[in-house]
Amino acid sequence: MFETAYEQKVPVVLKGPTGCGKTRFVEYMSWHLHRHIGNREEEGVPLITVACHEDLTASDLVGRYLLEDDQTRWIDGPLTRAVKFGALCYLDEVVEARKDTTVLIHPLADYRRLLPVEKRGELLEAADGFLLVLSYNPGYQSALKDLKHSTRQRFIAIEFGYPERDQETEIITKESGCAADTAAALAKLGDKVRNLREHGLEEGVSTRLLVYAGKLIARDIPPRRACETAVVWALTDDLEVQRSIEEVVTSIFED
Amino acid sequence: MAPQGPRGLDADIGGLTFALSDAFARVAPAVSTSLGDPASIRRWTDLALGLAERSPGVAIAFIEASPAVLEDLPVAGLERWVNQGRSLIGGGWRSARLAMSYFDNGAALLGLVPVTALDHLVAVVGLLSETAPEIAAGCIREAPAALADLNPGDREPFLRLLESVTRGSWADTDRCLERTPALLGAVEPAFRPGLLELASSLVEQVGPGAFRLFTEAAEALAAIAAGDRGDVLGSARRLGASDAEAAVEYIKSAQSVRSRLSSEQERHWFEAGLGVLDEPDGSARAVSWFRLESVGSLEMLASLAGRVELHDVGSVLRLYAEALSGTQVLVQPRDVLVRRRIGWGSEGGSTTDGVSIFLPSAVDTFGEHQANFSVYKVHTTHQAARLEFGSFRFEFDADGEFLASTSVRREADVDNGRRSVSPGRPPMRRYFDLFEDRLLISELFAVVEGTRIDARASGEYPGIRNALRRLQDHEAGARPDVEAMPLRQAFVENLQRASLGRRDLMRWPADKADQLASAVTTLQIVERRGATVQDSAEVAAILYDAAASLPNVPPRESGGGWSVPGDDTGGTHPPPGATSAKRHPGASVEVPFEPPPQPGHRGEFKPELVQLLATMADQGEDAFGRCLARQDLEELLAGCRELAVSDNADGDEEPTLDELLDNLQSEASERAAADTDEEGTRESNGDGSDGIEWYRYDEWDYRAHDYRPAWCALGEQRAQQGGLDFYDDTLRRHHGLVVETRRQFERMRPESFRRIRRLEDGHEIDLDEAIQFHADKLAGAGPLARFYSRRNKIDRNVAVALLLDMSASTGEVIGEHNKRIIDVEKESAVLMIEALEAIGDAYGIYCFSGEGRENVELSVVKELDESLDDRVRMRIDAIEPVQATRMGPAIRHVVAKLDAHDAKVKIFILVSDGRPEDEDYGRDRDEREYAVHDTRRALIEAKRLRIEPFLITVDSEGHDYLGQMCDDIGYEVVTDIEALPRRLPRLYRYVASE
Repeated sequence: MFETAYEQKVPVVLKGPTGCGKTRFVEYMSWHLHRHIGNREEEGVPLITVACHEDLTASDLVGRYLLEDDQTRWIDGPLTRAVKFGALCYLDEVVEARKDTTVLIHPLADYRRLLPVEKRGELLEAADGFLLVLSYNPGYQSALKDLKHSTRQRFIAIEFGYPERDQETEIITKESGCAADTAAALAKLGDKVRNLREHGLEEGVSTRLLVYAGKLIARDIPPRRACETAVVWALTDDLEVQRSIEEVVTSIFED
Repeated sequence: MAPQGPRGLDADIGGLTFALSDAFARVAPAVSTSLGDPASIRRWTDLALGLAERSPGVAIAFIEASPAVLEDLPVAGLERWVNQGRSLIGGGWRSARLAMSYFDNGAALLGLVPVTALDHLVAVVGLLSETAPEIAAGCIREAPAALADLNPGDREPFLRLLESVTRGSWADTDRCLERTPALLGAVEPAFRPGLLELASSLVEQVGPGAFRLFTEAAEALAAIAAGDRGDVLGSARRLGASDAEAAVEYIKSAQSVRSRLSSEQERHWFEAGLGVLDEPDGSARAVSWFRLESVGSLEMLASLAGRVELHDVGSVLRLYAEALSGTQVLVQPRDVLVRRRIGWGSEGGSTTDGVSIFLPSAVDTFGEHQANFSVYKVHTTHQAARLEFGSFRFEFDADGEFLASTSVRREADVDNGRRSVSPGRPPMRRYFDLFEDRLLISELFAVVEGTRIDARASGEYPGIRNALRRLQDHEAGARPDVEAMPLRQAFVENLQRASLGRRDLMRWPADKADQLASAVTTLQIVERRGATVQDSAEVAAILYDAAASLPNVPPRESGGGWSVPGDDTGGTHPPPGATSAKRHPGASVEVPFEPPPQPGHRGEFKPELVQLLATMADQGEDAFGRCLARQDLEELLAGCRELAVSDNADGDEEPTLDELLDNLQSEASERAAADTDEEGTRESNGDGSDGIEWYRYDEWDYRAHDYRPAWCALGEQRAQQGGLDFYDDTLRRHHGLVVETRRQFERMRPESFRRIRRLEDGHEIDLDEAIQFHADKLAGAGPLARFYSRRNKIDRNVAVALLLDMSASTGEVIGEHNKRIIDVEKESAVLMIEALEAIGDAYGIYCFSGEGRENVELSVVKELDESLDDRVRMRIDAIEPVQATRMGPAIRHVVAKLDAHDAKVKIFILVSDGRPEDEDYGRDRDEREYAVHDTRRALIEAKRLRIEPFLITVDSEGHDYLGQMCDDIGYEVVTDIEALPRRLPRLYRYVASE
């Protein structure tokens, strides 16, 4: 799907809970596309990632003039660079960014594929390989932090969920280097804990946390203890929910 | 003038008379002024002269004390006071001195206590005057100081105590006088009368030594945590009525007992101790019970301390079960299911009806807390595993993982045998119908499925293996005697033992060992990884065939020696005769098959009923009766072996078939309702024709640890409008306060200011932006000069909902100005409006009342996004006390509104009089626990939605039932009701600026 979107130059938004692998996916795709489609090895980095935050301004993305010995020098922002090079531009957690920033990407994200660089009075047309990718976590569903529809409807959305248990087992084994049966147990734990999502747990345990737990176990920390630190305490401050998850942990892992 | 010499003792009558008349002359003007009328003055003179006849010196003392005394003492009491003094005059000079001293201290004493109370003091002095005159004199001297240290209400009881202490043992008098005020001072005033009462019982019952015990009790009570004191003292007084010494011991042990037990458990222990009193030699035994010196008491403590109550762990287990099974599961006490009377009997153990898990209400299988909790965990895991691994998802003709289904073939056989078969049966029912003896097959299926689930659970959750094994061992050890069972029954029992992993406990006639051995091997199929409920059904069918071939004859006839199968050395081989007897089963009478009990963690397993209920609930949505006619149901139920049905209507234990049908139908429709009803905020008949919109809300049942789905109906409507006068009046009356509050609120603004950057004009220059601009300008690309920043309140984004209690109890008039609680609430609302308008926060004002769970009323004075106008002001006027206080749904409703509102900070403030009550809010009107728990739950829900709840209770008389529950919720009791209008805005500032 992503490949087709890339070929057709349709911008993509990746939706999914935290730690389910959105960033990893984009990284992979950039590597994959780089190898299979593009021949832009000479053009350098095919992926530019921007972590969005509250104070991210338009010039942070587009670029700014810097003073240099009474002279000024123009520095391209990450978005401009991506537009020029035709790279994947990945705006992580885009809802965090200021609203005026999100508007900036509108002309890039539709048929125009243009980036106005106000300060230089330029209108950059995106190079061929350019694609805008946003990530967005519907978990924080506050009306304050929701994508505007005008932004939303410029992208196709790929939903990310947590992987199936077998896949997750494989991921944990590979990423953490723990034994396969430990990884299976961790994946099982993930499954069980995600069943509790409606009860004070805003989000289920992420694959990332499970991988962390696996890493701890791989370095000989007792599994129950590892899960306590990497899963139970990391997930919630609600004592009751903590206690319940702990019971699940002690059921799955032997002493 | 006469010398002011020593009065009265050294016999110079002449001098004395002179001194007397001199005293008279000196005080007469003052006395006559305070007495006023001539008759009283005459009376006073007579009293003085009367005293002078007994002892002139005493009379002088009386006369001299009079002016001061008469300030506190009414004339009517004068005579009593004189008589008290006179009674002290005995024979010798010492007694006269006591009397004089009494009059000398008169003013001080009478300023503290009424004259009647002094009877006790006089009695004390009288008692001591012979034996210990020094102490007696000391008593009079020190009494005023001691009394002054006490609260007015405690003084008379204290004097009474002093008297009884003296009567019991005069040696304790001075210690009592000296130490009691300090002892009482160490506990809250509210508890002092109770303590004094206990002291009196002590004196009465114990006599000498009572004061020492009292001291111990008072010290121990002061050492107990403040929150527990009331309870402990209450219990001690109950106990003290029959045995005061035991009560003292109880107080002394209470702290350590309470540290080990919950208050519920402590009550059990206490009641048991009370029970000991009734036994022979009860008093001494009760004392040692409460002193923690009796074996019974200690054993009970240990077992209670190790005991785990569902009450305490229910919610954890519920989340645990939900995590495991991946479905919404309720965890409820076992007796809830029994009470529902839908076919489950009162047999112990855990079970599930497909949507809930039912657990025993307490576990004390093992002595130790952790082990008992593990028992709960094993129970929960097993029952959750039934849901997770599909015990109830049996399909009639599906193959298992290891065995192919024979159901269809069997059904064909049965049909040939012309057994009636009704269509539309749940698959489980259809399966059971395949067998002649439904009881036997359902029992075998339960054993097999229980085995499968245990194996599956310990495979999936290795962490519970140890606990499971321990529990299985325990359960296996408590099995009924297999050797006393008839043969077929013993066969099933042995399988049960094997399934608990204790093949060593099997006992079986050696000559039939092969049969059992192959049965056990068959059973093991379901222990394989991946076995499904279909495998269980097939295994049960195979076992059924084996069991049915055995005659259910009593053990004596079934063959001689029983042994552990496969263990040739242990058992005796059957005598040949016995073997031949077995060969002709027809010769002996078969007894009916009675299923051996299921182990506790597996409990009653009723797959047929669960499937039936689920079917009914699925169809329940549209006119239930149409889909599953009552006759069909009746027919379905008639053959259902799982049901415990009694034939006569008064059978208390088991419901009749009719009753059962009704219960099942209502259960099913309730379930169907719960299914359609997400979150519990369903809107029903919200046609709005009468301006009322109806909503449904869940209610928290703290006993069941769960919500009662869609339990309360809440009608929302606009509040009535009254006049504007109230609003304006309030503003006028509280003019100063309004101005002050507004000013304070306006001052709050800067806290919430936030810098807005990149403006063309503003208060400050943003350096970063200015440099950027400069650089841009140099480069010739300078856009607009937007490097100013401004502080703006734009970022203050607070919404607050104010919920006012307008229940009947708020009509109560309190305070100095005879205001009703509701009026104060209304005034506070006016002030809040003024304050909030000043600061610009969004706010809504709502009132609630109601009657019964189907009729909770919520009136909207102002919605969150409505602006303030005269209609709002007029609505405030019309707020009047109405009915009861069902807080839960009202809170939930307003919280839902807040949740839907877009604001960064959301605050919910409830103003009430502290008494959640409604006719059916709890088991009866007097039960507050339920209502309090529900209210608290509703507030916690708010917290989970990131709404900050704050509770204000207007309460001058200790009706504060919520305080105890709200340890983690913002909470304040405003005891001085008139202070509320001042207090509320202040609290808001505090909450909103956090």
